[in-house]
Amino acid sequence: MEPNNQAGVIIAEAVTKVYSDNGVPVEAVRGIDLTIKHGEFTAIVGPSGSGKTTFLNIVSGLDSVTSGRVWLAGRLLSEMSGRELSDFRRDSIGFIFQAYNLIPVLSVEENIEYIMLLQGVGKSERHRRVGRILEKLGLAEFADRVPVKLSGGQQQRVAVARAMVAEPVLVLADEPTANLDSKTGAGLLDMMRELNQTTGMTFVFSTHDRAIMERATRLVTLKDGRVDNDETRD
Amino acid sequence: MTLMIYCKLAWRNVLRNKRRTLIAGIAIGIGLAALIYVDALILGMEDNMVKSATSSFLGEGQIHREGFRQTFEVDLTVNNLAEVVESIKQEEVVESFTLRTFCFGMISSPANVSSVSMVGVDPANERHLSQVDEALVEGTYFEGDDDRQLLIGRKLAELLEVGLGDRVVMTAAQAGTGDLAQEMFRVSGIYYFNVPQMDQYMAFVLISKARQMLALGDEAHQIALKFHDAYLGRDQDHPFWNRYSRNGNEAVGWTVLLPQLEAAFELSGFSTLIVAIILFGVVSLGIVNTLFMSLHERMFEFGVMRAVGTRPVAMGQLVILEAGALAILSVVLGMILGFVTLYISTRIGIDYTGIEFAGVTFRELLYPVMEVRQFIVFPLWVFAFTVGIAFYPAIYAARLTPAKAMRKSF
Repeated sequence: MEPNNQAGVIIAEAVTKVYSDNGVPVEAVRGIDLTIKHGEFTAIVGPSGSGKTTFLNIVSGLDSVTSGRVWLAGRLLSEMSGRELSDFRRDSIGFIFQAYNLIPVLSVEENIEYIMLLQGVGKSERHRRVGRILEKLGLAEFADRVPVKLSGGQQQRVAVARAMVAEPVLVLADEPTANLDSKTGAGLLDMMRELNQTTGMTFVFSTHDRAIMERATRLVTLKDGRVDNDETRD
Repeated sequence: MTLMIYCKLAWRNVLRNKRRTLIAGIAIGIGLAALIYVDALILGMEDNMVKSATSSFLGEGQIHREGFRQTFEVDLTVNNLAEVVESIKQEEVVESFTLRTFCFGMISSPANVSSVSMVGVDPANERHLSQVDEALVEGTYFEGDDDRQLLIGRKLAELLEVGLGDRVVMTAAQAGTGDLAQEMFRVSGIYYFNVPQMDQYMAFVLISKARQMLALGDEAHQIALKFHDAYLGRDQDHPFWNRYSRNGNEAVGWTVLLPQLEAAFELSGFSTLIVAIILFGVVSLGIVNTLFMSLHERMFEFGVMRAVGTRPVAMGQLVILEAGALAILSVVLGMILGFVTLYISTRIGIDYTGIEFAGVTFRELLYPVMEVRQFIVFPLWVFAFTVGIAFYPAIYAARLTPAKAMRKSF
């Protein structure tokens, strides 16, 4: 039965993922059912090896499921070809990883512009959107710098800018604050939360950090590849 | 538009690890330079061999009676010699020519005896065709009125135990009758070509004396030719050869006279191909290694690029463009290296003198021949090859799934 796609940006149904680690099968995700609604600011938490990153990879189409189904913005991911998935990710999902997010040989401005170049957005529109997001995130003065000339926090803010500039339906962040000190990490999360509130964009991020969990409106706890707890906060 | 950003990315990525790029570029560049150099060396060797073979005595072409080349029969003189000579004088392609007589005979001194090929030459014309005068190490080149002057090679002089001014006797069969004729000659010059056949088995006398001794009248066995354009000697399709290959005569260029030389050139061309295959094989492994190193080093980056929506084909494109950028740098390095080494060699030459190859002894320094073609064709080969070989890592990059790429990076 097809799920009601109006209900969520992400709908995961009985998702499992088994890896082969040097020939030994490893069950990273063991039957997760989860729906993430539009506009939510959701944290996926859990200890190392609980399946957070694997789950995020699966729901974003970066990795395939072993069994189960995932709908993202109304599209069943398993029905898409590699090229369709690439285009779908480009247009619908913003990604933030824990480090090495940016293309080192491109400047801040070029990194943010990259996805729009792939989308075929015109030059003037690209410049308008890049200028606006740089201004909004306080990065205007770094526009011409290459990533290596930025601090870790600044790099992550650029990654946020790149994730949001194409106005996706969902922003996925895999431990975005893992390599940042607590103050910088908290600042980044505050910024993401503010963007979530002002734009209504859905954010899903994984984290270990308790202080960051506090900012989430929904906390999904994974343990041994299963949802151990799902708590919604006001 | 996207191609532009990939070009930019490729160029910057290649310059990202300058040391590695430089090492890879130099390796590929050395391959290209070696290819250019080997080609130039072989061209120089061909020129040198042709020059050694044709300018020492052979000439760039010859006219004889049909069958003479195979038998050296003393009766087989050039048909209608006067008419042929008059015609050759009108030929614009001919720079100079000379008449020669040949016969096999016996030369004897008080100490020894040897078989020899006695060649009758016209000294004035012969100077333009051969280097007998230049090869003299003792004595003079047909000076004065004495018609019994004889030039012999150093090895023959040693064998006969004779020196300048010593007398020797030549014995040969006359034309027509086959009667034996004997003449006394005085050694007036000793030459050294460093070519065994010439230094031990040839003796030069005046053509007038040879004709008299062999009862040839005004006939000659050979017209040796030199052209304004040396290439004509190699172009057997030129109408010149047909014009003089009639009335029982045959006109042939040096490729026919020295078929082993042409075969040696074909072998040289094959050698260049083998060298190219070996060099390209080594270079290709270097390119693939460099590209894979670069790819593995940036695995997470590739994963991120795929994650944010870069299509698989575009990832492959990026790798190929990087190979192209590396190829451009390498080709520039290779051309500079090739030009410098070649320029120096063309100035100072390479000393192969005295070495024999395909029956020809190098008599002069070998100068590699630099041609514009070498700096267009070979760099294009290297560029195309470098880009072509990059398809292997490009396909690998295109097949990477984002999650796998990011996992592999840790």
